[in-house]
Amino acid sequence: MGVSTSTVLAINGVRKTFANNVALDETSLELTAGSFTSLVGPSGCGKSTLFNVISGLLRPDTGSIALGDRDITNSTGHVGYMLQKDLLVPWRTVLGNITLAAALTRKVTAQDRREAEQNARRYGLGEFLHHYPGALSGGMRQRVALMRTLATNQSLLLLDEPFGALDSQTRLDMQQWLLQIWADLKKTVIFVTHDVDEAIFLSDRVIVMSPRPGRVVADIVVDLPRPRTLETLTDPAFVDFKREVLRLLHRSSS
Amino acid sequence: MTRGEGTELSALRRWRLVGALVLWSVTSLVVFVAAWQAVIAIFHPAPYVIPTPHDTYFAVTHNWSSIWPLAVGTFRETLYGFAAGAVLGFFLAVAMYKVRIFRSLSYPFIIASQAIPIIAIAPILVLVIGFNIYPTIIIVAWIVFFPVTINTLDGFLNLDADLLNLTRVLGARRWRRFWFVELPGTVTPLFSGLKIGAAYAVTGAIIGEQADSSGSSLFQYQFAANNSSRTDLVYGLTIVMMAIGLLWFVLIVGLDHLATPWKHRPTSRRWRDRGRTTSTPSLRNE
Ligand SMILES: Nc1ncnc2c1ncn2[C@@H]1O[C@H](COP(=O)(O)OP(=O)(O)OP(=O)(O)O)[C@@H](O)[C@H]1O
Ligand SMILES: [Mg+2]
Repeated sequence: MGVSTSTVLAINGVRKTFANNVALDETSLELTAGSFTSLVGPSGCGKSTLFNVISGLLRPDTGSIALGDRDITNSTGHVGYMLQKDLLVPWRTVLGNITLAAALTRKVTAQDRREAEQNARRYGLGEFLHHYPGALSGGMRQRVALMRTLATNQSLLLLDEPFGALDSQTRLDMQQWLLQIWADLKKTVIFVTHDVDEAIFLSDRVIVMSPRPGRVVADIVVDLPRPRTLETLTDPAFVDFKREVLRLLHRSSS
Repeated sequence: MTRGEGTELSALRRWRLVGALVLWSVTSLVVFVAAWQAVIAIFHPAPYVIPTPHDTYFAVTHNWSSIWPLAVGTFRETLYGFAAGAVLGFFLAVAMYKVRIFRSLSYPFIIASQAIPIIAIAPILVLVIGFNIYPTIIIVAWIVFFPVTINTLDGFLNLDADLLNLTRVLGARRWRRFWFVELPGTVTPLFSGLKIGAAYAVTGAIIGEQADSSGSSLFQYQFAANNSSRTDLVYGLTIVMMAIGLLWFVLIVGLDHLATPWKHRPTSRRWRDRGRTTSTPSLRNE
């Protein structure tokens, strides 16, 4: 299969079953460098399963994952993955959590700490550097979890419903915050969400999946101008995209 | 936005907690003595069956110069035995967690070890090892290791599977993962095991002292008091033994508190020691 130069991630015919239970039907997808792609689909359609396969936590029954020109199927440590739970470790402070990846692989250097501190300050965690996660609000916890994912310096980020548990006001703040980081750091992002507004607001591309066993039913390019603001949410073009995605989601689930 | 309070506030809260602890301890003591006194007032037992709290108190204070070194001796036995048992119990749990075959093989032996009636084998231990402190230390360690191993192993085996997955995603090395995630994730069950062990340590020490009939120990002193019908002293010495057990428990609870600052502090202590600002943080508006 010819891989164009700008393709960073290629998912080739990945399928996963758990004990005769198809969790993810054959799925193929290619992502271009620096793109923001959302994955929407009904609960249980295999979105987290796909992430687990990409990250190397799960072994697919068939298919392969390529990052650039490297085959990374079944191997961990090549992507930044923020799991569905924030999984902050309660015994490390905000800085300690951000530098967790470093601590788990080698000695944490002063440089690591300095970078973590700079990024944390730049992205709104400055006053919480030495707080334990137990003393943070839900939104702050998600920020820390994302900073920890970023600290791994991977170019591809898998974000599994990072804002799912937040109230709508905080969620809106977090979406803007994430877009800013994405623009600053030029990462490639795959983002899972149940919120259609969120998917369209953030993404260049929205992938709609069918109910279990999940497969791709639509691939929509969202060409709304950036930077996106609160006005984007009421833009007629935005509403058109929303109608389209909702229709696809609804059709595939009936 | 934070759920924890500022540092000054939490210091105040800490003192209130200590105050509450002292208050409740004193209250418990008063209730205990009052109940004791009430039993005597109602049933009028003979003094050689139940002495009064007053007599018991003075039996201890009058003999304090004899009791103190013996109590220190018992404490020392529990200290060595507890330390040995805790270390052994902990490393057993680690080995059982990390090596599945070892877990399956050793589990039956670990359970069986506690089915042995220690009182029955204590004299044999003394015969084999000699009339010294070591049999007692072994008995204490024998009792203490068990809850430590079982609780710690349970802790390891119940670590969040997603958290372990995350460490894989982050490319963790085996022993670094152990040190930074698996071990701190198990401190709570580890300390539960230590607390149970602490409560039993004194019982183990007394069993050891009983077997070593030639030594001068708290138990042998109590045995002599019993033989000369000094029931008040027997009661008093029992309370001294209880006090040693309680002391251990309090020590472990304190250690637990120090080892898990994240459970009762909003920020890390090191931060304050470096003299940064301690104002209550608030979410910046962006
Ligand atoms: N480890 C596992 N063992 C067995 N079945 C599993 C396992 N993980 C997931 N499944 C099953 O695979 C299917 C897909 O699960 P998955 O978690 O990927 O869904 P999802 O799309 O992420 O759902 P949600 O939106 O609710 O998070 C589900 O039916 C689930 O029960
Ligand atoms: Mg999921």
